[in-house]
Amino acid sequence: MTTKSVPLATPVVPAKRPSSNLIATITSWRVLLSIAILCLLPWVLPSKALAVNVLIYGVLAMGYNLLFGYTGLLSFGHAAFFGAGAYITGIAIGQFGVPWYGAVLLGVVGGGVLAFVIGGLSIRTRGIYFSMVTLALAQLVYHVGLQASSWTGGENGLRGFTVAKIDLFGVSINFLDPVNKYYILMVFAALALWFVSRVLNSPFGAAIEAIRENETRARACGYDVERTKLLSFVLSGLICALAGTMSALHLAFVPLDVLHYQTSGMIVMMTLLGGASSFFGPFVGAFAFLLMEDVFSLWTSHWQIIVGSIFILFVLFLPKGIWGTFLAKVIR
Amino acid sequence: MSDKIDSLIRRKISRRAALVGLSAGASFIAMPWVARAADDTIRIGFPTPLTGPYAAEAKDQVKSAELAVKLVNDKGGVAGRKVELLVRDGKLNGGEAATRTLELIEKDKVHAVVGALSSAVQLAVNEVTRARGVIYVSISQSDTINEVKDFSKYTFHEALNPHMTTAAVARHAIKKGNKVAHLVADYAYGHEMLRGFKRALTTIGAESVGELLHPIGAPDYSTLMPRLRAMKPDVLCISNFGRDQANSIKQAADFGMKQQMKIVVPVLLHNQRLAVGPEVFEGVVGGANYYWELEQQLPSAKAFNDAFRAANGGAIPTDYGAYGFTGISSLLLAMQAAGGPDTDKVVAALEGLKYDVAKGAQHYRKCDHQSVQSVLVLESKKKADMKSANDFFKIVENEKPSEDVLRSCKELGFPA
Repeated sequence: MTTKSVPLATPVVPAKRPSSNLIATITSWRVLLSIAILCLLPWVLPSKALAVNVLIYGVLAMGYNLLFGYTGLLSFGHAAFFGAGAYITGIAIGQFGVPWYGAVLLGVVGGGVLAFVIGGLSIRTRGIYFSMVTLALAQLVYHVGLQASSWTGGENGLRGFTVAKIDLFGVSINFLDPVNKYYILMVFAALALWFVSRVLNSPFGAAIEAIRENETRARACGYDVERTKLLSFVLSGLICALAGTMSALHLAFVPLDVLHYQTSGMIVMMTLLGGASSFFGPFVGAFAFLLMEDVFSLWTSHWQIIVGSIFILFVLFLPKGIWGTFLAKVIR
Repeated sequence: MSDKIDSLIRRKISRRAALVGLSAGASFIAMPWVARAADDTIRIGFPTPLTGPYAAEAKDQVKSAELAVKLVNDKGGVAGRKVELLVRDGKLNGGEAATRTLELIEKDKVHAVVGALSSAVQLAVNEVTRARGVIYVSISQSDTINEVKDFSKYTFHEALNPHMTTAAVARHAIKKGNKVAHLVADYAYGHEMLRGFKRALTTIGAESVGELLHPIGAPDYSTLMPRLRAMKPDVLCISNFGRDQANSIKQAADFGMKQQMKIVVPVLLHNQRLAVGPEVFEGVVGGANYYWELEQQLPSAKAFNDAFRAANGGAIPTDYGAYGFTGISSLLLAMQAAGGPDTDKVVAALEGLKYDVAKGAQHYRKCDHQSVQSVLVLESKKKADMKSANDFFKIVENEKPSEDVLRSCKELGFPA
């Protein structure tokens, strides 16, 4: 008897997910296609300010989706990273005179450091406990924002750091012009899209999905689950902080509400609405949520009832969200 | 399904179809600008928190603002041009209000912005208008907006500020040697009112014996009342706003605090007194920018009340509602004087404007653009003394407008 095992056949090419050519093409070009869609956004939405908000909250939800949709960790504290990015950028420009690109970098790095600390403390727990720990730690950050008013402006919000023009390669661009502002901020969104796509296509991307599907099995396969989770948490925090710096540049104002737990709730809502664990879903979610808010609040002061009902209908009947459902239909 | 999309993509598009599609798209994109260029309406943006805890006050502001616009349009508009008010929900959130203001400026091309009802939110709106050189008339209390750091040539503060309100109230409600305890809402409005009261107490020669903070929107004050009583004050100053005012005064009354001390508030709110009834508020003293019974003293108040009654089925205007009227009216008067909405001319006109539209003479101080105006000190009436359903308050004092009750330009950081 021989113990040597022989494979029945050697595969010529690695196994592929069964899908049509179109889907494969779209997936491999997803970053450029997403950017193309974003390019059109300011011309189809009712206002440029709304388009900029879709960019900002789209990036925010995309960062969140990395953790929630792909790693399977439900955090209720992502407002902390969004707010940290915004506050650090504002303080760097307003109080230290850092040029805008330096302030953006500081904001992103600062948000990442905060994510490392909060992530390091919270990923020791799981399930509902993880959600509660992230919520509690984010509330700590909120109260720092409230009390350290000589730095953050407290309840009044952070003011006095308007970026009126951006000097780039000898060209001075008027940043107050809504169209210029949109396309400059879109560059950041494009970078974030490329980065997230790259992460998801890497072995690391497969590892976090493995953890989401079955943590025990992923551990048995030899993955360092804690470290992978922490890394995913930090990457997610970095992207959310980038969204924060974009929001600070956009409004030239940081309201204390960015750190509030309602912001964390809104991120979850947008991600679910668009479709968690889909690449472009978070942008669709941000787009749908903000458009509904914008349109319905012009009609009635009871707009929250309409938005709430639509959200409930989605949770009940379309749990994959708008984009997730659309993709599922197309693939089938 | 994917086959269908494939065939859709592969289908050739004829040149004619492409041209039709392109021109339709281009005209769709160009439409709003084409439409805008044709009309010469003067547009005024009005972001205000229609949803949230201050919604009652915000809705009053909208009613009064609409009335001010209607009165001007009935007389033929400003320099022959119609005026339009664009109301937006700022949701009592700085980011939201700033976004709405951006939309008003960039998309609706408003000529000026009036509104915001929160000391924090008005600073957000101010940041947006200041950077873009758009006129902003703020109609909510704030001390910060007067200071040089937040000053803008284009911003005018129509509302009272905490400094002048608390000083006037303290002068008429607190005596030399009084011991004063404070119950304060823990956010900007409460902090600014507390600072104002403390400063006034030093001037009067009264003593602060302690302060307790409560979170905004707190429903229960029962743990705080015994601690306040233990301070043995003669006067209790309650510096909070909206529903919090009614809840805290109600619980102070339940604890029998009124037998031992006088209750003083910076701003005595019409809507909150309406919500809880005369017994609870009886004897409470507080400030106000407007009270409808001014009509017995002032013809301008009478005219405002009558117009408001006619437009709103006999209802009377409230304190915060009146800000909507005075704010819009002063702006439209200045636009009329400037002969149109040209920003620099309107700013100059506002700086030189003397107006009396509802509450007696007013003008904007040159250095910080604060409206110099009368401050009312009111006392809530006993049920037996009320002559009508709306006869809530007695006017204790109508302090004449004076720059002396404001912080000096130098103290605010302006060059002398």
